[in-house]
Amino acid sequence: MATQAQTASTSPRSASKRIRQGGFFSQTLPFWLLLPMLLVIAAIQFYPGFYSIWLSFQERQGAVWNFVGLRNFERIFGSAAFRESIGHTAVFLVGYVVVTMAASLVIALLLNRKLKLSGVYISLIFIPWVIADVIAGLVFGLLVVPDYGLLSPILSNPALFPPNGLSIPSDPAPRPWISGFPFPPAPAMYYLILATAWRALPFVTLLILAALKTVPHEIIESARIDGASSFQALRFITLPLILPTLVVALFNLILGGMNGIGLVFTLTRGGPGTATEVLSFLLYTIGFGRLEFGRAAALSVFIAIINLTLIILTLRVSRTEERTA
Amino acid sequence: MFDQRPVSARRITPSLAAFAALSLLMAACAPAAPAAPAAPAATEAPAAPAATEAPAAPAAEVKDFITWYQYDEKNEDPKSDERVGNEYLRKTIPLFNEAFKDKWRWINQPQPFDKMATSLVAAVQAGGEVPDLMQAGDSAIIPFIKNGTVQDLTDWVKAQPWFADLDASAVAACTGPDGKIYCVPVAMTPQIVFAWKDYFPDGYPKTPEEFKKVAEELKAKNVAAITFFGSTAFDGEGTTRFTNTIIKSFGGTFDDGQGNMKLDTPENVAAIEFLREIIAAGYVHPRTWDGTTTPFVEEEPMKTAEAASFPTGIFGYRYVNPLKAPSGKEYNKGNEEDMLDAITAGDVFIAPFFAPEGKKPGCGTGVSVFVIPNGAKNPEAAKDYINWIMTKEQNPDWVLGPGGGFPALRSMLPEIEARAPVAKAFYEQAAAAVAASECRPWYGSLERRDEAKKIIQSTVYKLIKEDPTADISATLKAAEEEYNKGN
Amino acid sequence: MQARLPSPQDYATRRRLRPWLTNGAMIAIVALLMLPIALTLSTSFKREQDVLRRPPVLLPCDGPDGQFRLSQCRFDIEGYERVIAPRPDVSSLLGFRLTGRMFSTYVPNTLLYALASSGLVFVMSGLAGYAFSRYRFRGRRALMVAILAITGIPLLTNLLALYQMAVDLRKAGIPGYDERMFIIAVYIGFQLPFSVWIVKGFFDTIPRELEEAAFIDGCTPIGALWRIVVPLAMPGLLAAFLLCFVNVWNEFIAGYLLITKRELRTVMFGMYDFLSQNIINYQVVAAACVLIAAPVVILFLLTRRTFFQAMTEGAVKG
Repeated sequence: MATQAQTASTSPRSASKRIRQGGFFSQTLPFWLLLPMLLVIAAIQFYPGFYSIWLSFQERQGAVWNFVGLRNFERIFGSAAFRESIGHTAVFLVGYVVVTMAASLVIALLLNRKLKLSGVYISLIFIPWVIADVIAGLVFGLLVVPDYGLLSPILSNPALFPPNGLSIPSDPAPRPWISGFPFPPAPAMYYLILATAWRALPFVTLLILAALKTVPHEIIESARIDGASSFQALRFITLPLILPTLVVALFNLILGGMNGIGLVFTLTRGGPGTATEVLSFLLYTIGFGRLEFGRAAALSVFIAIINLTLIILTLRVSRTEERTA
Repeated sequence: MFDQRPVSARRITPSLAAFAALSLLMAACAPAAPAAPAAPAATEAPAAPAATEAPAAPAAEVKDFITWYQYDEKNEDPKSDERVGNEYLRKTIPLFNEAFKDKWRWINQPQPFDKMATSLVAAVQAGGEVPDLMQAGDSAIIPFIKNGTVQDLTDWVKAQPWFADLDASAVAACTGPDGKIYCVPVAMTPQIVFAWKDYFPDGYPKTPEEFKKVAEELKAKNVAAITFFGSTAFDGEGTTRFTNTIIKSFGGTFDDGQGNMKLDTPENVAAIEFLREIIAAGYVHPRTWDGTTTPFVEEEPMKTAEAASFPTGIFGYRYVNPLKAPSGKEYNKGNEEDMLDAITAGDVFIAPFFAPEGKKPGCGTGVSVFVIPNGAKNPEAAKDYINWIMTKEQNPDWVLGPGGGFPALRSMLPEIEARAPVAKAFYEQAAAAVAASECRPWYGSLERRDEAKKIIQSTVYKLIKEDPTADISATLKAAEEEYNKGN
Repeated sequence: MQARLPSPQDYATRRRLRPWLTNGAMIAIVALLMLPIALTLSTSFKREQDVLRRPPVLLPCDGPDGQFRLSQCRFDIEGYERVIAPRPDVSSLLGFRLTGRMFSTYVPNTLLYALASSGLVFVMSGLAGYAFSRYRFRGRRALMVAILAITGIPLLTNLLALYQMAVDLRKAGIPGYDERMFIIAVYIGFQLPFSVWIVKGFFDTIPRELEEAAFIDGCTPIGALWRIVVPLAMPGLLAAFLLCFVNVWNEFIAGYLLITKRELRTVMFGMYDFLSQNIINYQVVAAACVLIAAPVVILFLLTRRTFFQAMTEGAVKG
């Protein structure tokens, strides 16, 4: 693939030129440099990708795999559990993306106002990002343990949450507005969204902040002097300028949200009932809870297609052309 | 901050060095770790530390005997949830190693209880590390047989002297559709009701109507009449407990006897209507469903006497402690003896569940069994171990400890009561409760039990908690179709 | 807010007030975000009697009369002791041994996996990043886009296949095969693409003239890479190392599913497993959370500049 060094370099005395003068090893140097990476990625990323597709057409009977055609896909797409979890995933993703993006934007705008302490703030804000999702799930779980959790006096207060207070571990969702679609969601879903957003917020804040730094101050200042309110300046100048970053952040969030499992695993395990059973957790349940690998592989192919679409969209938006130049 | 582009490597290096030093220190503090950080190539990790510590015994002769229990003998925490089983193993492993000192060395590998069966199927399929023996529940046996996970023990079991003494129903739980025996039953764990005497001075109600009457009186005292495993935690574990008890008590089942799920029956609908009624009336403790983030909180109201009764497995006596009686009397040894003491003192009694007029109380059975997986390296060790556990010296301790129920060996009960006089009242009441009930395994003819228990518990949860106005019959029908589609 | 020209006084007042308001808002936000951590810390230092109180108390500092008094505080390290479970042991370096599985098994395992995979990512991303930054070869751009695309592929969808691969490898009976190698390879495979991008970005900022000077002095390309470029790109390489370390430390699902031997499992499995033995011991769970999160949090705080730079570098630029 990358065996030949080419001459598309800017400086005539560049390394590329030297390569052409050297022996076989030097000429193929880039290939040798890339080889370890290529091997690992082929083994851990590409091969399993194709293996998953193969698995999705198989079913294990005893010790052997049998080809079953599209049966796995039929059974997955035909199951009520799948339809329900699509709804839960949609509600989760929308809530999680909106909460994270809004909070991050506000924090980034505040931090962008040259504060003496912004270094301290951002370091502290960033701590949740370093905390593992499994631990975040446990931490948030401990807070809402009925009776003993430190948030339980607030949650169980009937004045705040009538009529009898609120129990995140068990209170069901209100009657859905559209039959079959889990909205408005159960309290546990709100809580799961909050916990997930808590972990994702630092990274998105950092992205937006970095983009804000590239917005020239003079444009804002002159707009303000021309009579634009600070909201108008934000709406018509800043936001359009950082839009590509916002879109990249958006896709990143959706990707992370679709595929994150550690938090669901330790916080709600899909419950109460099936209120927080998102696609990633369903995949785990079918694949590793019930060991139905064929069906799980079919589901993972479905999720992988969504992922790939998101990735391609991200690449389009993030002006890859410039980055690879 | 982002303006300062080049970060000096020097600034990071000291921190990194400090971190590395810390890591090394931590690793040094833990010599029990099988030299992992230093030598990634050194395999056979679990055996390694024991092997090096072992004295100059005839090393070639002594082989490892590997077990999977849900208990961890290395967890010496006196307040761990599994302290009873942990303590049992800690005490017993040296005894076994002494008894077989030239032959076997017992190494236990603890497993999370809700994952053990799946892990074993996966390990056998995957050619992973397989134990020589695992403690399992009877509901895992058919999946084990289907997946070729466990060994056929028919000939061996039938040749053992203790075979004739085994309870027939326990042997049936180990018997596959082909008539072969795939496991060895050790203890039986039927479902019963623990209840506070002060709240039920006239005994536990016999019928739903009686229950509602007592519950109304208790409600006036601000006490919930009942708490149970109502959450969907552990992939629907509740199906095997209270859900099964109430459905069976109303004369219902989960299957049609042919391997299909059958939920939409008049009996099941009646049971769920009754549940809705008592929940709406406020007779059920709100903790009942709270096990989502922290499982087993439904036990709490029983411990503090905020709930008057708690239907659960007989093994529950090990976990429901410390106790505080309605009178204020405390049982706070913090171990399994609290419940036994409370029963002996008459504060707690054991009863069968109630059932509508003309029906017998339903009761789920559970059997604690040993299986020997295919691919076990030393099945002979497992057989020696089982024979050892079946002795009069060992069996009572096992049944009282990890088993937590009745012995499968019928002649052992007096032996156990002699060993633990405090358990006498407990066994008498439990035996009476079981005799008054009709005990059957929850799964009937269903084969995909993990899937079934999740579907059933989610459906019941939906009908009684999420949407108490949903059409019961239609919802049950949809659930059974979801399962049967996979047949 | 209306669009009007602010009077000079208005403007001046706002200018003076604004930093205060902004700082106030930021402090409130930071406090809110730190709340779960603070509450967990407080739980972890409580005694069991204070954890199991209804209603719960924020700090176990109230006297019998219910009044808050600092002198009444009953902080305890019981939770921590139960996680670490130190036992006296004269043969050990410090006179005691940590018998809790968390520190005797899972932490050393995870350190091994994290250090090994970060080290290899360090080397491989250095080589690949250099090739991408310095050479123009056929397929370069396509390859880079492919690598960038791979950074988005989550572990989740590959897990089933990786699990089956581990099964196949195990059954093939390859001599010397070890679950540890496999899990390290998996971690590298998932950390490498992003690292390559970070490192390439750092190489791009190093002027070529430096290497060319080295070539003129008679250095081979490898020599130039080793002596000139690597030291200059060290921040980027360290960033890749650190990110990988933190990600592997925090990784749960692959370590849980792909490692079958319990003695080889990772610290996040340990956290998860911890629950099955300590469901109702909240202070112990909290202490375990603190102990396991602390190393990476401290590591991050010490090296935060590198982190920030790497992440903006890797994800924003362009």
